Amino acid sequence: MPFLKRLLLVEWSGLAAAIVIGAVVLAFLSPNFLTEFNIYVMLRSFCVALLVGFAQMVTLGVGQMNISVGALGGLVAISFGGMMEVLGFPIILAVPLAIAIGALGGLINGLLTERTGINGFIITLATASAFTGINLGITESIPFYDMPPALVAFGENRFLAFPYLLIAPVIVAALLGLFFARTVPGRQLLAVGGNPQAADLSGISRGRVIVLAHVLSGALAAVAAVLAVAQLGSAQPTIGADWLLLSFAAPIIGGAALTGGYISVLGTTFAVILIALIENGMVLAKVDPYWVQFLLGALILAAVWLNRWRAVRTGTG
Amino acid sequence: MTTLTIESVSKAFPGVQALDGVSLDLRPGEIHALMGENGAGKSTLIKIITGLYRPDGGRVLLDGKPAEFASPRAALAAGISAVHQERNLIPRFSVGENILLERLPTQSGLVDYDTINREARRYLDLLDRGIDTRVEVRTLSVAQMQIVEIAKALSLEAKILLMDEPTASITEHETAALFALLKRLRADGVAIVFVSHKLEEVFAIADRVTVLRDGKNAAIGEPMAAMTRDRLVSLMIGREERIAVLGERSADLATTVLEARDLSTSIGHREVSFALHRGEILGLYGLVGAGRSELAKAILGGAVVTGGELRVAGRPVRIRDMHEALTKYRIGYISEDRKAEGLILMHSVRKNIAITIWQKLADAIGLIGNGAETRAVEPFVRRLEIRTPTLGQVVGNLSGGNQQKVSIAKWLAANAEILIVDEPTVGIDIKTKTDIHELLGEISRAGVSILLISSDMPEMVAVADRILVMHGFRIVGEVANDHTYETASKAIMSRIHAVEDKEPAAAE
Repeated sequence: MPFLKRLLLVEWSGLAAAIVIGAVVLAFLSPNFLTEFNIYVMLRSFCVALLVGFAQMVTLGVGQMNISVGALGGLVAISFGGMMEVLGFPIILAVPLAIAIGALGGLINGLLTERTGINGFIITLATASAFTGINLGITESIPFYDMPPALVAFGENRFLAFPYLLIAPVIVAALLGLFFARTVPGRQLLAVGGNPQAADLSGISRGRVIVLAHVLSGALAAVAAVLAVAQLGSAQPTIGADWLLLSFAAPIIGGAALTGGYISVLGTTFAVILIALIENGMVLAKVDPYWVQFLLGALILAAVWLNRWRAVRTGTG
Repeated sequence: MTTLTIESVSKAFPGVQALDGVSLDLRPGEIHALMGENGAGKSTLIKIITGLYRPDGGRVLLDGKPAEFASPRAALAAGISAVHQERNLIPRFSVGENILLERLPTQSGLVDYDTINREARRYLDLLDRGIDTRVEVRTLSVAQMQIVEIAKALSLEAKILLMDEPTASITEHETAALFALLKRLRADGVAIVFVSHKLEEVFAIADRVTVLRDGKNAAIGEPMAAMTRDRLVSLMIGREERIAVLGERSADLATTVLEARDLSTSIGHREVSFALHRGEILGLYGLVGAGRSELAKAILGGAVVTGGELRVAGRPVRIRDMHEALTKYRIGYISEDRKAEGLILMHSVRKNIAITIWQKLADAIGLIGNGAETRAVEPFVRRLEIRTPTLGQVVGNLSGGNQQKVSIAKWLAANAEILIVDEPTVGIDIKTKTDIHELLGEISRAGVSILLISSDMPEMVAVADRILVMHGFRIVGEVANDHTYETASKAIMSRIHAVEDKEPAAAE
């Protein structure tokens, strides 16, 4: 296979190029871009975004969607905050409990999808509304402000340009990469997404695998929520409200197949870096941040088109 | 040693009685051929044994004990493995992973690829040493994928092995390796069910044969030693139920409506040439994977033309999509998968037929009235004798034959002059099958030209005026149809075998 064709087959090749070119251009245009503080700001926004992308990536992998990532994230965020402020739980207890709540939400999504046979899109659209309802019912839209100082410090402190927050997504990315590449449930998850009938005929329990994907998605959304609370220094009921578009944008730009069966941890990571770069570039260029939304939409379209083109060119479409 | 007994099993799908009181007994250490024409119920029976379908009636017994499997997983656990007709591989996974898919070996919790490759190699080597266990399945040829499917079934070391047309797309060389292997398994006491259309293969390898015809037993476990070729064919076809040859034909051979000249496509067709004349039914026959349906899609803009040209009414054309095919060139297309591609099952008969002419039916402000639709659709429903309580009936509730008539009606309503028809009678009972054939004959006499794609040999012989034979994405010959099953089918198969012998690795 010629080199160029092989490179084309690698989903993240275009992304890596875009990131390098973008960074070089920004470094030239703005003297502030390469400062330690600016890179810290960028990396900080990257952390939550990547986990949100991962939360959607696992459901896309099994051929499903999770519309409730943001709503579940919001619910977890206020539960996490409430446990610490109202109930006085220590961080060490509140974090695993928060993740468990996320996983439980995912379990509900998964069981409803699997048991009823109704499309996961509709199920999670409905549960999204329900999760948001619980969130607002508990908080009446009032945030929990009184977070433990250690958590706030973790959300703010940095080593050189690297925020402490970065530890979480790095660990999660490594674990996810390993999960999909090397563990049986991970491979089964992609098998079900790739050809559900074939997976079925091979004796893989399709239902269990779909439930697993949703549980994982919920847990990842919960990790994102915990990080968001740490980053903001308070548990806002609005956390997660703007996650939905991002959650699809990251894995799709990263090369995931919308039909299921193929995802890329590295591609998704690069996609989030690219998005962070664009957001940062627009801030430096003093563009209205609302235009970021527009660019994100354009980027998704471009990515989908590129994937399609690549599939046709390499004869795998 | 395990014995499998099927006792008068029945299974119905909406509109079709797929199996009607079918029995079969399978003993350890035998190769049991399961034969029948397309739609006879072979695959349905295999799917019941493997737990994919639940029977409506009858029993499946394993060693005399009732064994109804709730899922393929349960069947596997009981020692039954199968090669199904549909491709069941994960394209993005490696060959080795596909073979060991449901029991990937691990080492300290991680998938162990060294073991996978070693294990998969063992089974693959029994059939073909040329396939790398580490490459992704999507990069393989159709024949190689089939080999992987077989290796996967073998790797389960099952007591009962079901093979639904395992040789449909592999070369003779690989078939020989497979047969040698099946004989070894037989000697080890494995019970094997072998489904094939190829009589030569069945005579070469099977000990006994069960024949299905229209969902019923035509023979149960008769010894092959006492079987003749003629008797087997008549058991399969049923002498009295042979498909009727069309009556008077009147193709206008002077007028070519659709023509391909050395057409090559991005999906693999090479130098395909044919000419379809006005009022003609031109048959396109080929085995699974020959590229028949793909050719239809390519003609209709589904693939890039990389060489040669396509002509409609003598003028070179490039058709972009179905919309252009219909509006500019008056070509209609009936998909082989009418449920997934041909019809909108949840919509009414009226809407399904009128879908091609909505533009025409719309009034000045762009609205389509029910009345206008009904008036446009009604004549076709009457002419094609579509049996439906009302025009508002949901198409999914009609029988398979009537569904197919609806998909024909929508192109007639749109005034199509060329009709590409892909497997028009799959899953349709013999009576309605004849109706559909007569319908095709009638509309071709009215001047519509039909490219008939079918893997159903008796249908081809009965209905087509001429038969093109396709193999490995090429046209490998043309047979002037004398409408006699024995001679025409022999002529067709000899074209295919001639190519296979010449280049044993044609599909690679």
